[in-house]
Amino acid sequence: MMASKTGARRRPALLAAYLPVVVAAALLALPPIWLSDSRLWMRIAIGWLVFAAYGIAFNVIFGSTGQLFLCIGALAGIGGYGTVILADQVGIPALPAVLLATLTSCLLGSALSWVAVRRSLGVIFTGIVTLTFSLSFSNLVLGQRGLTGGETGLLVSTGSASLLRNRLSAYYIFLALVVVFLAVFRFLQRSHIGWAFRALRDDEVAAGLAGIDVARFRVIGGMIGSAMLGLTGSLFAVYEGFIGPTTYDFAGIDIRVIVMLAFGGIGTLLGPVIGAVFFRVLDEYLIEFGQLREVVYGVLIVALFLGFRRGLLPSVQNLFARVLRSRSNPKGD
Amino acid sequence: MLEVDALSTGYLGEDVIHDIEFRVDDGEAVAIIGSNGAGKTTLFRALCGILPVSGGSIRFADREVTGLPTHRLARAGLAYVPAERHLFPQMTVGENLALGSYPERPDTRVLSMVWSLFPRLAERSRQQAGTMSGGEQQMLAVGRALMSKPRLLMLDEPTTGLAPKLAADAYTALGELRAQGLTLLVTEQQLPLALDLADRGYVLANGRFELEGTCAELEANPEVRRAYLGVA
Amino acid sequence: MTAVILDGLVLGLQFGLLGVGMTLVYGLGGVLNLAHGQIAVFGAIVTSLAMTSGARAFWAALIGVAFAGLVGLLLDRTLMRPVYRREGEERVLLGLLLTLGVGFVIEGLLVWRYPIQQLSLNIGGSAVEILGVRMRTGSLLASVISVAVAVVLVLFFRYTSLGKAVRSVIQDEVGARLVGVNPNAVRSLIFFVSAALAGLVAVTRSMTSPILVTAGVNLTILALIVTVVGGLGSVSGAFLAGLLLGVVHTVSSFLIGSYITTIVLLAAAALTIVLRPAGLLGRPG
Repeated sequence: MMASKTGARRRPALLAAYLPVVVAAALLALPPIWLSDSRLWMRIAIGWLVFAAYGIAFNVIFGSTGQLFLCIGALAGIGGYGTVILADQVGIPALPAVLLATLTSCLLGSALSWVAVRRSLGVIFTGIVTLTFSLSFSNLVLGQRGLTGGETGLLVSTGSASLLRNRLSAYYIFLALVVVFLAVFRFLQRSHIGWAFRALRDDEVAAGLAGIDVARFRVIGGMIGSAMLGLTGSLFAVYEGFIGPTTYDFAGIDIRVIVMLAFGGIGTLLGPVIGAVFFRVLDEYLIEFGQLREVVYGVLIVALFLGFRRGLLPSVQNLFARVLRSRSNPKGD
Repeated sequence: MLEVDALSTGYLGEDVIHDIEFRVDDGEAVAIIGSNGAGKTTLFRALCGILPVSGGSIRFADREVTGLPTHRLARAGLAYVPAERHLFPQMTVGENLALGSYPERPDTRVLSMVWSLFPRLAERSRQQAGTMSGGEQQMLAVGRALMSKPRLLMLDEPTTGLAPKLAADAYTALGELRAQGLTLLVTEQQLPLALDLADRGYVLANGRFELEGTCAELEANPEVRRAYLGVA
Repeated sequence: MTAVILDGLVLGLQFGLLGVGMTLVYGLGGVLNLAHGQIAVFGAIVTSLAMTSGARAFWAALIGVAFAGLVGLLLDRTLMRPVYRREGEERVLLGLLLTLGVGFVIEGLLVWRYPIQQLSLNIGGSAVEILGVRMRTGSLLASVISVAVAVVLVLFFRYTSLGKAVRSVIQDEVGARLVGVNPNAVRSLIFFVSAALAGLVAVTRSMTSPILVTAGVNLTILALIVTVVGGLGSVSGAFLAGLLLGVVHTVSSFLIGSYITTIVLLAAAALTIVLRPAGLLGRPG
């Protein structure tokens, strides 16, 4: 299953493929140099790393395998709330708690994928089912006050001495997370799995006929993506020190991820990163607008999805590519 | 009544029919013959505005109608009975027929004509269209088209899925309509019936008209006989 | 318990009309209007503003409903055009995303401009006795109006030629075009009706409990649940589902609690999709 990359001829290709990841990592390693003094900017910067992570996960689930999971926040929330409850209330040490919570997210996400595949739910129905899951999660969080702190949320005491509570080290931890996710995404793209993903996204029937086990790959996509979400959600909870019903809800996460990817490009490697940077900064700037922020989101969603099928950035890239091609080939192809 | 000039169209950017040219005059019955995949349905879809046209023109009743949406053509007097029929499955026979004359109210005289033409429909006037057999649905589709008092009635393979007796019945009905002066345009794979009914015919192959002539001429033509009539 | 169930039916009538509005637009155009609840709230706010300006409740309500309808019409004529040009899943996805955005815009603008506005139609008069149970006049009036509207809709779809034209587009759009029905015109009409229905539901709802300016999202989710359980595109299914879920909602709230109740309703929708996607009365496939 794994493409073996032996031979000197393959090495440059390998390097070239992961180059964007390396470059992104290098670039993203820089901001703390200027920003580490500003609490606000470090928050924003970490925010964009976290959302980039969410975005990459969404890309794996939707961009790669075409499953419209509208429960990104909920899956991350299971990681977050799971970690906090296991660590603070049940008394499990931090790291196992994180792992257990991530595993739970992974299982639930895989279950959703599996059900969707078994019942041949199309995009819309998958979207609605996952949306109900997301809303149920929010309601559960609000309702089970004893466990989750309801409206008031939970203070996270686990990990309070850890590296995650320090702004600078947290930044690099999340950066490592994003880089790993990017590498995983890149690996998936280039591997046998990625090929199957693309085939079934483009034409599910043809893929099935070609012998691709659509079910298996959809569940794999769901599994990897939700594991990513659970892990990110868990780490975020420890870093933030506090989680509440708005930390992982649909409006707080899913909507933002959608807008982010509408901008940065669905299914692309760096789309989530670029989209997250753009969006997090925009978000911060819009805070002073209060309710109008919602209006801006709405307008952005409408404008971006009307205008650009796969995202703003990919369309711009295509435009660029076409311009460059026509320049170098004045007579046309 | 219908004049088609240099018509080309197809799907996904590829033309399936090329440079089609023909006419149907008032009161005539014209048959378009061709095997599967020749482009008959594509042609008909283009004629009624279901499929956009990539080149050429269509004139109906002395008006340029190329590119007009289907419902405008329907209201202008062009009735089309597609091979898939497109009936309203959860509506009764009566309701389907009543909609045929939209936006006008159903004309009771035309309705009685339809009942007498298709007695089996009259028996089932309150039955849901989706529960009827293929033959009955075909009759209903024709009846619905007639309710609009069309100037031109187009039928795409009206005998598809019909047992030979029903097919013959259908053509008898069409013959009666013809005798009453209705202009008809029919495509068929089952030749003898169509050729009997029509005055003139065109042979469509690979998206182009290869032959045309009166039906007598076509019936006598050895190529036609071999390819479409299964006769040596 | 009878009182609870009766309350549930009253609520159910409104749920039903809410679902009918959403399912109509879906059945006709394949658009899942995620701004449905926000349009309802818009209607309520307009009514409220009209009343603050001195209009009598009846006229204010009429104006509110009409304005809600106009928003729907506007939406259909502008943003939905590119959506209708697409086919199949692409169309549904784009429609969903665009209406999601529109919902945000409407709610954002309303909350920004009228943050504390709410609609509460107080119908005076003492409680009335129905079937041995006391019912507030507000509930009674709301029910009567809902039933009347439902009856009008049934009559419209069954007996008028325009109503049949609408059904024809839902059942077979190509067939509808062949008989001379203009699907675009029909879709615009129905979008208007759907939005007006949403506004009406908000207005009747306000007769028993206030409609806050932030209620849009909840109403949309409710409409979505009812629509899904009733079967996407099935008008009678949506109405039936509404009645059923209304009763479930009140009984469950009475016995268990509001958060769990919401989860129950959400689960109903999810289970319907997983087990019987055609919904209560929808056509399979």
